[in-house]
Amino acid sequence: MFNYNLQLALKSLKDRPSLTFLTILTIAIGLGLYTTIKTMSYQGGQVPLAHKSKNIFLVQMDNREITAEEVDHQSRMVDTTYKDTLNLLAMEMPGVEQTLNWYTYGILNIEDENINPVRATASVTSSNFFTMFEPPFLYGNGWDKATEDSAEGVIVISKLMNDKLFGGKNSVGENVRIGTNVLKIIGVLDTWHLSRKFYDRGFRSGRPDNFFIPHTYAIANELPRLAGFDCWKADADIARSFRNENTQRLLNSECAWVTFWAEVPDEQIENYQQQLVNYMEGQKALGRFPREILTFVTNLNDQFAYINGRDDFMNVFSIISTLFFAVCLLNAVGILLAKFMRRTKEVSLRRALGAKKKTIIAQHVIEVAIIGLLGGLLGLVVAYLGLQGMMNIQIYSSDYTRRLEDLQPLFALDFTMIANAFITGILCTLIASIYPIWRLCNTPPASQLKSQ
Amino acid sequence: MDIKPIFLSLKQNKFMTILMIIQIAFTMGVLSSSVLVATETLREWGMDSGIPHEDIIRISPEFFDENQDVGQALVKDIERVKQMVNVINVAPSNAVPFTAENMINVYLTAQEDAQEYKTVVFHSDENIFDVLQLSLVEGRMLTASDVIRGEDSVTPQNASQVMISKDMAKVLFGEQSAVGQTIWLAKNSDPVQVVGIYSNFMTGERLNGRGKSYQSIIRPQVKWSQTHQPNYLIRVEQGKATGMLEDIIDVFYLERGRYINSSELLKRTQKRMYDGRGSRALTMLVISLILLIITGLGMTGLTAFQVTQKRKQIGTRRALGAKKRDVMRYFLTENSIITIIGLLIGVLVTLTITFELSEQASQNFMNLSVLLLTGLVMWLVNILAVWFPAKRAANIEPAIVTRSA
Repeated sequence: MFNYNLQLALKSLKDRPSLTFLTILTIAIGLGLYTTIKTMSYQGGQVPLAHKSKNIFLVQMDNREITAEEVDHQSRMVDTTYKDTLNLLAMEMPGVEQTLNWYTYGILNIEDENINPVRATASVTSSNFFTMFEPPFLYGNGWDKATEDSAEGVIVISKLMNDKLFGGKNSVGENVRIGTNVLKIIGVLDTWHLSRKFYDRGFRSGRPDNFFIPHTYAIANELPRLAGFDCWKADADIARSFRNENTQRLLNSECAWVTFWAEVPDEQIENYQQQLVNYMEGQKALGRFPREILTFVTNLNDQFAYINGRDDFMNVFSIISTLFFAVCLLNAVGILLAKFMRRTKEVSLRRALGAKKKTIIAQHVIEVAIIGLLGGLLGLVVAYLGLQGMMNIQIYSSDYTRRLEDLQPLFALDFTMIANAFITGILCTLIASIYPIWRLCNTPPASQLKSQ
Repeated sequence: MDIKPIFLSLKQNKFMTILMIIQIAFTMGVLSSSVLVATETLREWGMDSGIPHEDIIRISPEFFDENQDVGQALVKDIERVKQMVNVINVAPSNAVPFTAENMINVYLTAQEDAQEYKTVVFHSDENIFDVLQLSLVEGRMLTASDVIRGEDSVTPQNASQVMISKDMAKVLFGEQSAVGQTIWLAKNSDPVQVVGIYSNFMTGERLNGRGKSYQSIIRPQVKWSQTHQPNYLIRVEQGKATGMLEDIIDVFYLERGRYINSSELLKRTQKRMYDGRGSRALTMLVISLILLIITGLGMTGLTAFQVTQKRKQIGTRRALGAKKRDVMRYFLTENSIITIIGLLIGVLVTLTITFELSEQASQNFMNLSVLLLTGLVMWLVNILAVWFPAKRAANIEPAIVTRSA
């Protein structure tokens, strides 16, 4: 029976090829655009370090003045002062790792005058960064605590910098200069893909950092600090100058500007939060933390949920592409109706000769499922082209400052999305065909025979 | 032709009618809002830059070695570049056309409540007029003797005579002559005298976004410090710029201890100025064009369906004396009624979307003629979509009536 139905369905598909093709095309275009946008939001919203993202926390303590405004959400809370990060780093807690981060830039150059200098954005951090955030190493590795404490000039560079400055060879042990400061390369990262660069709280896509240096060295050599400084009134006027100067004043001030991260195992979370409160209370005795004690310890999952929800561009396009797909499906309904209603005569004849409603439905469901399958296949092709187009638009609109290599993972169709597209395609086509099939199979058996 | 039977027929086919109306309304909403956003962007794209931006190269050096003598490098750079084949002229400048974002307020009086006028001040030397090909509108050109040069910390004095752009003069002084007038470059301080007016050129997005694209002032002074070096604007022979860029960068790298940032043709700077909004608007435009095609295809399908449904009625009408024309007209009118209802709802959707967008971008996207034109195009596309099935309907033989019981 199935074979018979299948044959009828295939025959009917071939019957009016232009209408069949039109239906498939309509579904494919709608599904293609829908999958394009879905893939972008899925890839862009993926939480990095999935295996432990719920244990990676951003730590914020409210050190602001008594007059400051109430804050009810982590995103509006200030970061941490440098002295607090140092104090927290010094705390011993089994199983807990902590690191800090701020954004900087520098002009990397080497002795060899044939190699032109490169201006690069970078990250200032601590030794735990490499164990907590697990960037992949191509050569060498990160620095250890002892090196960091001695403020030694060591640096981990990205693959891109290694390619530009050293032609891709193993450069571990070589010297590189940031401006005129000489540092020793101890590690070269491999391509490190993060859907969003979270650790500086910028959450930007496709712009990886180009080198990493210890915070002790950056402070000692007064490298630029591209951070936002949330200062108390006394320092508010000169807050901007902290980017490049007044280092000592910054270190003594109550300006919050360092992002602070902790990796805490499940069973330690409560304890860790208590430790923070204890620390703040201890500092309170010294006249700091004037406000009621308030901390935010937010894991990566929660931060990403919040950030993804605020992506206006993606939200608008998600709505548009869903509506667009709906319009395409409505169209498909119209075309299927047109196609099926031509067949009333044949159906009523078959019904009169004893074919059951069930058989008629089965035949058409098979036909529609084939249309959905083909629509899904073609839709994937459309989605692939759409994603390539979107990626090139982003490269173009960033004025070629973002590279194909860094953006590609954000626009990749993976197995989940392909399966998703197929199931959506077939399911939606079937739903769209309910009305046309219902109309068709309700044709009274003999109605058409009369007129012959 | 009587419209009443059409309405009756539409009422009978509620599902179809509503389907078509929703689709048209939605397509209209998306299409016209993206067309509105895109036209607004494209309008700004078409704005005259006022300079030969395809033949000007900008170079922005950035010293990282504090032991280098910036002033000495400045002299050597200009010497070296001028010696290159095909280089016409070079000028140092603190700002670059299309990215001059350092917007300031200037005033006509020294009073506390003086009115603010937005502008950008270019600090450069006498060569900038030749590099940017600015022509003299009124007064006199600035010359080498007007230019003040020096390292920031040892050169406290500033140039006291400036030139302003034609638009700036118009905004500040209206019909009056600007030459010889005094303006204040900061509240209560820094008065300067206008000695001449030059032709307009594009400043940057911040003024452009406020509709004040051409308001600028040129002050003849070249100052530098270890952390702030002027950019260079280099005009080369027509059409030679792309090929010379690499060579020019190499010449600048002869001076060590610095990084050559943003070395590019001004053409690219201009492109970047419009990018952010541009690419988004164009993406929307492409999506809505595809949507328009889909809607057209859908209309064809639905009408074809209706034609099949109404074969008998059409045959009857034909048998009763209706001409082929009349049958065509019936379908076209029916479709137009649906289209117009859809478009009206679509306009409401558009108004909501553009209102929201205008609020967000604090820029007015509404443009009635574009909206009407989009509606007209949609109507035409729909007519085209219905044309073929309607034609088939018109070809139905009157004899079909005789066949049925």
